Amino acid sequence: MSLLLSLLPWASTSASEPAPAASASALVAALGQPAPAHTAFAEARFLQVLDRPLVVSGELSWLGGDRLQRRVEHPQQETATIADGEVTQQRDGRSPRHFSLKRAPQLQVLLDSFVALLSGDAARLQQAFEIRQSGDAGGAWTLTLVPRDARVAKTVASIRIDGYAKASRCMHLQEADGDLAVDLLGPLAARMPAAPTREALEALCQGAP
Amino acid sequence: MRTGARATLLVLWLLALAGLGWMVSQRLRVSTDLRSFMPAPTTPDQRLLMEQVGEGPGSRLLLLSIHGQSDERLAALSQGLAAALKNDRRYSQVLNGSFDLGALDAGLLPYRYLLSPTLDTQPLDQAYLADQLQQRLDDLSSPAASLLKGLLPRDPTLEVLKLAERWAPAKSPELREGVWFSPWGEALLLVQTVAAGFDPGAQQQAIDGIRRAFATLPGSAGATLELSGPGYFSVVAAAQTRHQADWIGRISTVGFIALLLLAYRSVGSLLLSALPIASAALAGIAALIVAFPAVHGITLAFGFTLLGVAQEYPIRVLSHRRAGEDAVASVRTLWPLLLTAIASACIAYLAFYASGVNGLKQLAVFTIVGLLVAGFSTRYLLPYLLPRRVRDVAAMRWLLRARTWVDRLPRPRWIPVVVAAAIVAMLALARGPFWQDNLAALTPLPPDLLQHDARLREALGAPDVRYLLVLEAPSAQGVLALSETLQPRVDALLARHAADALELPSRYLPSVAVQRERQAKLPDRATLQHALDEALQGLPFRADLFRPFVNDVQTARTLPPLTPERYAQTPLGQRLAAMLVERDGHWLGLGTVSGVHDVAALQALGADTHGAVRLLDLKAASESLVVDYRSRILQALAAAALLLVLTIALALRSLRRAWHVLAPMTLATFLVLAVERVAGVEISLFHLVALILAGGLGLHYALFFERDTGDAAEQRRTLHATIVCVLSALLVFGMLAWATIPVLRAIGLTVSLGVAFHFCLSILMAPHARQD
Repeated sequence: MSLLLSLLPWASTSASEPAPAASASALVAALGQPAPAHTAFAEARFLQVLDRPLVVSGELSWLGGDRLQRRVEHPQQETATIADGEVTQQRDGRSPRHFSLKRAPQLQVLLDSFVALLSGDAARLQQAFEIRQSGDAGGAWTLTLVPRDARVAKTVASIRIDGYAKASRCMHLQEADGDLAVDLLGPLAARMPAAPTREALEALCQGAP
Repeated sequence: MRTGARATLLVLWLLALAGLGWMVSQRLRVSTDLRSFMPAPTTPDQRLLMEQVGEGPGSRLLLLSIHGQSDERLAALSQGLAAALKNDRRYSQVLNGSFDLGALDAGLLPYRYLLSPTLDTQPLDQAYLADQLQQRLDDLSSPAASLLKGLLPRDPTLEVLKLAERWAPAKSPELREGVWFSPWGEALLLVQTVAAGFDPGAQQQAIDGIRRAFATLPGSAGATLELSGPGYFSVVAAAQTRHQADWIGRISTVGFIALLLLAYRSVGSLLLSALPIASAALAGIAALIVAFPAVHGITLAFGFTLLGVAQEYPIRVLSHRRAGEDAVASVRTLWPLLLTAIASACIAYLAFYASGVNGLKQLAVFTIVGLLVAGFSTRYLLPYLLPRRVRDVAAMRWLLRARTWVDRLPRPRWIPVVVAAAIVAMLALARGPFWQDNLAALTPLPPDLLQHDARLREALGAPDVRYLLVLEAPSAQGVLALSETLQPRVDALLARHAADALELPSRYLPSVAVQRERQAKLPDRATLQHALDEALQGLPFRADLFRPFVNDVQTARTLPPLTPERYAQTPLGQRLAAMLVERDGHWLGLGTVSGVHDVAALQALGADTHGAVRLLDLKAASESLVVDYRSRILQALAAAALLLVLTIALALRSLRRAWHVLAPMTLATFLVLAVERVAGVEISLFHLVALILAGGLGLHYALFFERDTGDAAEQRRTLHATIVCVLSALLVFGMLAWATIPVLRAIGLTVSLGVAFHFCLSILMAPHARQD
């Protein structure tokens, strides 16, 4: 599901002037972008079934509408596409695997919300999530999304997006079972440590751009 | 007879009818299984056909489509419907394309290592586990992570998913929103019912259950659920036949009453003349209740139609009454002829009994008992009740004119020769096959329904209803083993596109031997733990994460192999039960075939198995069944014809007079056949049955016209009675000829034509008219 989150608006180097500390709606509206758009990402997953986090990196693309693509380049080539309510996974040397968004209702809600964010549709976002916003005078901001749907909340506890000016830099997906996925976006993706810890990533996301 | 005695007789008669009616209402059990109207099977293939027609996996499959909403909504409805039906005992399998971990019962989960073919080629060793674990790690970093996380500790090699894939239909429709969709944007589902396909009553319940479940789904109001499949067709056919028979019956009844009122202008006579028919119907049903465990709905529907012949008896009595003469006296003079008519009709209907078809046997019992009761009550009860004063129909002016006109008709002796020549010419000229052997051609299904079915079947890759691969062995395990040895050859055939898919029983359950082989390949706890520890080297999985996996493998090592009996408790076991049946101490495996391209290649599968494996062509089997059936009916007809000649000759005590009765009847019967053939009608069993019926009616006409009374008034009465009879028969059967159901139309058209030809020929060939 970090696939969706990591597709949130990404850093553009030109976004240097501080954003006005406005309401969450204004921020969301300001984040809107035209499709298609691409960005680099690096993701660390802290899973209970694993002793150490899983790290992958690659490129995320919003193809417009409800169509998204996540291409992983390291450590192994893999492409995942969401289109027409179906997730298709392709891995080198294996036959593609398909499954429905319906099998994971949280993915569906996240997709909807994600498209709302990309298109700057604050109303659509607010339908699915309770939104909290905080920020500082320097232009850094944090959006916290808590799913309104109890079914989704059973798996996804919260989503946190850290950003600066008109760009998102980090995404944290906190699952209800304690698992966590952190995605570094845009230029920050290149700074993913080889053996990340939750604290180190926290510092990266909160640090100066 | 005095008025008091008449009233007593009437009351007693009515009481007897009420008593019969009460008995019938208490004990009548109407069955709806259409198979009792099919011929009795004689060969093993035909017997299998009869079972398969009702109970085979193909015939119990309902194809469902939902349309009229957005894809997303349709997918939600599909999931909702599948969830609602899955736990319902009426359905043995519900598939909608969504991959389902619940396909295997939780209690059977450790069996996955015995059911999945993984171990046949791949031991659970370090190399395999390492590869699998690496793949799972990749999975965890993919969007599928949340789906697999729960499964991982127990099933790191994803055997459950492999089984789900193995059990999914071979040719799946397109997946949209996670469920099957047709190219036309309908969500598709497959539901296998527990009920037999050709039992419309039970199928109706199964279909109602689906419709109810659908209606209670949120958002179902704007969407349309459509069904197809043999079970649905049997429900539609039953409903259609009932519907048409009902409205045709209503119209005919009204017309019939109007006709009789017009002919006799007496409500009293009309009501009284209904008594023999009512007695006939009730006595017929009572006889069925005594002789058969259940009475078929179609027997009743057709039976009431055929009893229309019995209405002739009171009509003859009413028409032949003279002014001032006692009804009893009129009947007495008429009785020898009437008795001959009753006896010959009974002989003709005996042919139904000889057909060997349960439904037709019932029809024979019903009509023969009915005819006898109607005949004898017309002779011994009705005349005592009829009003003394009647209007002699012989005095009617139109009848005088009609009789004069009929008498003036030219009656050249060459008429029989010309008609016979015309019959031969028409039969020679007719194109197309003479016989209609395809039972399906008589199935009353609208073409758009069949097209819809073909479309869904194509989209779903649902098995063909026509072909079955039959595997025979002394035991269930023998069938499964045979199925396993056959699998590689089947795979090769599929690769060559001889068929789109062929599902063998071992696909759902391997034989005990194979399960034991796989069991023997499962490593013990220490070996597995060691291999797992080695495989986990360098991977970030938590050390004790896979303990449930190790435990399951240990459980699987000591499990008793899964047998069909134990498997039958589960949803998939139901699916298997449909493919594995016991008969006469032998076991049959039924492989379902879809999209057959090369029949010969499939037939070759059984080439050197000495019949243990064979491709059953249900259509060919059903056609051979029909041919058998027809030859039996034709034999019965020949015997009936011989009996008829004897009866008539004995009754008339003259071969020459018998010729005058039988010649027009025979010619008219063949004339109907010839006209239908020239019109392009292929003759089915139902045409034959209808010809017998028309022959019975025609015999009446010929018998009465042949009667030489030398009395012009009596001849007018005969003409009157015959015209009323012909009109009433034309009314009833002419209406049937308008039915859209081929079976009803075949009977209606044949009898109507028959009645018309019999009437004309028996007038034109009547002997005394020539002697005038």
